[in-house]
Amino acid sequence: MAAELTVLNGARERDLTKLDEYRTIGGYGQLERARGMAPEAVIETITNAKLRGRGGAGFAMGRKMSLVPPPDKRRSPAYVVANADESEPGAFKDREIMRTAPHRFVEGCLIAAHGIQSRNVFIYIRGEYLTEYEVLSRAVEEARAAGIFDDCDVVVHRGAGAYICGEESALLDSLEGKRGQPRPRPPFPPVTGLYGGPTLVNNVQTIASVPAIFELGVEEYTRIGPESAPGTVVYSLSGNVNKPGNYELPLGTTLRELIFEHGHGVAEGRALKAIIPGGSSVPVFTPNQLDVPLDFDSVQAAGSFLGSAAIIVVDDRACMVQLGLRAEKFYMHESCGKCTPCREGTRWLVQLLERIETGDGSQRDLDLLRDVCDRILGKSLCALGDFAVYCVASYVDKFYDEFKRHVEEGGCPYGGESSLDGVVAPSDQHTHSPVASPVPA
Amino acid sequence: MSAPETAADFRQRVEELKALYPDSRSAVMGALHLAQKRHDGWLPPEALEEVAEAMELTPAFVQSVASFYDMYHLEPVGRHSIEVCTNLSCALVGAQAVVDAFEQELGVGPGETTEDGAITFRLVECAGGCGYAPVVIVDQRYREPARPDDVPGLVEEIRGR
Amino acid sequence: MSTPELVTITVDEVEVQVPKGLGLVESAAMAGVEIPVFCYEPRIGPPIGACRMCLVEVEGQGKLQAGCTLTAQDGMVVRTAQTSEKAADGQESTLEFILVNHPLDCPVCDKGGECPLQDLTFRYGPGNTRMTFPKRTFDKPIPISPLIALDRERCILCYRCTRFSGEVSEDGQLIARNRGAQSVIATFEDEPYRGRFTGNVIELCPVGALTSTPYRFEARPWEIQNVPSVCGMCPVGCNISATTREGKVKRVLSRNHPEVDGGWLCDKGRFAYGHLQAADRLVDPLRRAAPRYEELSWDEALEEAERLIRTAGSRIVTALSGSETVELAYALGKLLRQGLGAHSAVLPEPVGHSFDAFRAPLSAIRSAQLVVVLGDEPVAERAPIVELWIKAARREGAEIVHASSGTPELETRLREAERAVLIVSGDDGGLATTAGLDRDGCAAFRLPKTANGRGVADAWAAAADEEPENPEPIGLLIVSGDEAAADPNVRAMAEQAETVIAIGMFRRLVAPWADLILPGTSYLERDGTYVNLEGRLQRIRRASIPPAPDELAVLSRLAARFEVEISPYPSQVFDEVSAICYGGVPYGEVGEQAGLPPRVPASQVRGSDPGTGPEATAEGPGLRLVTYRPLFSGPAVERIPELQFQRPGPEVELARDDAQRLGIASGQTVYVRSNGTSLELRARLSRELAPGVVRIPDEHAAGLEGRVEVSG
Repeated sequence: MAAELTVLNGARERDLTKLDEYRTIGGYGQLERARGMAPEAVIETITNAKLRGRGGAGFAMGRKMSLVPPPDKRRSPAYVVANADESEPGAFKDREIMRTAPHRFVEGCLIAAHGIQSRNVFIYIRGEYLTEYEVLSRAVEEARAAGIFDDCDVVVHRGAGAYICGEESALLDSLEGKRGQPRPRPPFPPVTGLYGGPTLVNNVQTIASVPAIFELGVEEYTRIGPESAPGTVVYSLSGNVNKPGNYELPLGTTLRELIFEHGHGVAEGRALKAIIPGGSSVPVFTPNQLDVPLDFDSVQAAGSFLGSAAIIVVDDRACMVQLGLRAEKFYMHESCGKCTPCREGTRWLVQLLERIETGDGSQRDLDLLRDVCDRILGKSLCALGDFAVYCVASYVDKFYDEFKRHVEEGGCPYGGESSLDGVVAPSDQHTHSPVASPVPA
Repeated sequence: MSAPETAADFRQRVEELKALYPDSRSAVMGALHLAQKRHDGWLPPEALEEVAEAMELTPAFVQSVASFYDMYHLEPVGRHSIEVCTNLSCALVGAQAVVDAFEQELGVGPGETTEDGAITFRLVECAGGCGYAPVVIVDQRYREPARPDDVPGLVEEIRGR
Repeated sequence: MSTPELVTITVDEVEVQVPKGLGLVESAAMAGVEIPVFCYEPRIGPPIGACRMCLVEVEGQGKLQAGCTLTAQDGMVVRTAQTSEKAADGQESTLEFILVNHPLDCPVCDKGGECPLQDLTFRYGPGNTRMTFPKRTFDKPIPISPLIALDRERCILCYRCTRFSGEVSEDGQLIARNRGAQSVIATFEDEPYRGRFTGNVIELCPVGALTSTPYRFEARPWEIQNVPSVCGMCPVGCNISATTREGKVKRVLSRNHPEVDGGWLCDKGRFAYGHLQAADRLVDPLRRAAPRYEELSWDEALEEAERLIRTAGSRIVTALSGSETVELAYALGKLLRQGLGAHSAVLPEPVGHSFDAFRAPLSAIRSAQLVVVLGDEPVAERAPIVELWIKAARREGAEIVHASSGTPELETRLREAERAVLIVSGDDGGLATTAGLDRDGCAAFRLPKTANGRGVADAWAAAADEEPENPEPIGLLIVSGDEAAADPNVRAMAEQAETVIAIGMFRRLVAPWADLILPGTSYLERDGTYVNLEGRLQRIRRASIPPAPDELAVLSRLAARFEVEISPYPSQVFDEVSAICYGGVPYGEVGEQAGLPPRVPASQVRGSDPGTGPEATAEGPGLRLVTYRPLFSGPAVERIPELQFQRPGPEVELARDDAQRLGIASGQTVYVRSNGTSLELRARLSRELAPGVVRIPDEHAAGLEGRVEVSG
């Protein structure tokens, strides 16, 4: 196995959606190896590999597994839930993993199930990923038919379009057949999760990283990337970059290498303006931060989050107010409506950004915009409220002059030439159900 | 996933779904997907009642769930759907031009259905194709990247289905 | 039970010891600190942390925490908005966001003056708004039923109402629709919110989003008085506050008795007060002067009553309603039995005391492991709140068993379960033994048909010891109360009796057949006591002044004509009854939150039980028919237009197995036949019904009896 590729290894050369092909490169061998180990040893291996969650929060998977009470201390069965609800704007790696290496992901699920001694794996895949759902379902059927599941079972559950279901507790509510709204925590899922039972929730890529740990061994695996959080990650590179796509690289690859070596830089004649390092929900970077290594700790030290390692490149054609407005419309659209600051605050932010963008905003509106951000931050039930603020607040802070020009010049300084000019969002176009159509004021 | 033809067929499929979960209520999303297929791509009140009956839930509860998710349609839709993502990565590389092209070609705006009932045109939030932007989704299958120039051909292809 | 471990927590620098795991909101209250809330309401389930009003700073946690979702842990140090700037900012933020789209139409809002949002905004909120955009607007008010109006603009989406509907009453009808800022409270396709407990959402709503339609614009909080009383509509005896304005009852609210009602009311208890203003309410005494009735003065009426009584001599039968107070029933007994030797009575229902040995508060049902409901009558139709306790038990993990008849297996299970509760609803189906249910954690309840049938029977019995000799023919039938007047058996007796005196509220109920009619009063217009199905003696209070003197006052004057001394004051009458029935407890000690008397050892239980063993409905083909009196029926309900939508439709309930065997689907029209009668009814499938039984509300079962054939 090439050290650089652990998750997508072989997936671009072979048809790993087929069980036979996956087996020719040793597929499901790691499951066998893990099943030959005591469950506690499986957890220990993952813990020692320092595998951190690739879904956004970066929580150590081994630690999470060890929080699941052992069978003799459980009141109800334990579950493994794979979070395949990839919806973070900028992220498209789980989709590729499921479409090209589904068995590796399933193998990871089964290893995790053995580790926490669970017999039920649920894979919650976002509803839009229909092709991936079909590929994954076929892989699951194939593995089941081959007797690989043993006494475990895997159910692939289709979502139906709601960003919030990527939040683990909302995902659990959705999986239980309810509206997908986050739960208060504690209790955390490893203690009280699906159907009230101990539940390990991990992202696709995290789980798909597990077989490689057993294949390479902890020692070799931890040689990849930084010592504190080793391994590879699939960087999703998108936006104004010449060669967008998924790049599986060691954690700690710098932004500069990713964008300019792998992504071939921005278009001829354009200048890099901003980089969103972890999906739209994280604070923005400016070009002077190109040398930040993309790993959990370095990005955080630089004032943002690695999140789902989705890098969105923004060149100098984009108006930052428009970028903020478009991002905020997304969060308003996706706010679940459960808690007050997120539900009301995102709508208010959209109104303020619209006013500033159209040139009707005053300095007071700009100050209020920033203040409303602070009032949402840290007060919502789940992280969506924070996400809705990290982006916009960082755009204001780092591109304050651009926001101020909107106010002072009574309109967008791009004068209709911004790459985001006139972008329409779903929230502008239709309400989901007629009952909510507001009566004109 | 084929559409269940008869009501009995639908109930049978829902029973199979319910058996997959420790708590049968988990099957409600799957049942809604099936019901939507059975009812011309959307969920009229009868469809919600059908799901409620099969799931042993109230129609109100089912409606509450259905209205939470973007992919369940509570208003009539066309026979085909065209969806365009306008989230950041797509927007940065010209999604709006694609939207405009569809609007031109279809004669309807986002959120609307063509007069002949053939196509519902919709905008969606990030569909997870950011590296292949702009993303267009035709009848739940991704077409990526799609450029304004591709639009007339796409529409012709769909109309031919 | 072991004493809970105590932990020490500090709230705003006040150290306090509380039981470990106690909610932080309650713990703070013990330290004298208020943590304000909107969505938090422990009675509707676990906290959801949605409104964010309760944000507090907890030492060691970087972010503000929702106080409602936390429990007391040893050494916890909490700072609320009172002492933490960060928490104060959180609280102010929440209020600002809540108010961003709230219309602030307090001057025209029924909630104004008793509104948590108004109060908390006044205390903690920003003094002005920074919102300069048009607020979200909706059509309003939307009648989600004839009883409840929904104002979506005022709604702060705390989800109390939908949680009640989903997780307490479990009717699953009131829901949140859509997502995010588009979320609204709704019913399915705007169908009316129908159910036995819908009105509770009005009280749960912390703003003016869900308001009572009958109460709409009727009063302002500073104009009203709340009279603590007890509902007289069913044997549960929920504790209520009757809100009055200018002497009239304007609404009824729950007055949470945690052991009896848990703070819930059924819609009959909540909305039936309108019957006080019924169009056919009797105000003056009436005498039949064929073909019409003539109004009498009270002196004339007493004169006439005396004449009728003297003419009949001891050939008098008294029919009592189960809605009479203990005092009224005793007074009637004293006059008729002690004074006139007329011992013959039609009591509201047979009453047994054997379950006094298994007495427990209704709330004990919630902690049961096994709940056996014996008998075919729907619990919720007889004693609605009991149904909520059973549902709560099921949510807590109890097994609920419904059975038509007692079997040895059931008896064994009742004996062996750690905490077993038996509930007899209707006929007990020949339960052989209830042995063992007197152990701790177990209980048994019999659900009577009437609110105070037991109290009435006890009081009537207390008045004299002589055995009745049933007069033939009846010289005078005295019908006391509307329930008795509506009873077909009583009506049949009236046909036979030479003369009839009826005391009731509604003219249409008694006018054609009574010779003398005396205006009666409602439970909302009387003072006195009731005994509920637990055997709990509770105090009812006059909330509104009746349009005529109450029965006790009239009876007192009438009795004087026979030289029988009856006090017009319930307190004095009660003292007489109490000396005989209630161990001499004084009237003043029948508290506002009455306690439950101790269990009576089985060996000392008085009297015999109502007949056990089902009326032998001979085995045969078809299904056994059970008819029942629906909750939403009776003279009071009939007189309230807003309650008509709640009345049961023409439905037949079938057990799932039977329906499957007969090829009947839910909602299908079926034919139900017996003895040459055939009715067309809508089928409803039930999990609770025992196989072989069909259930139909009595008003839709006319002509059917015994065993019935059901076909599609």
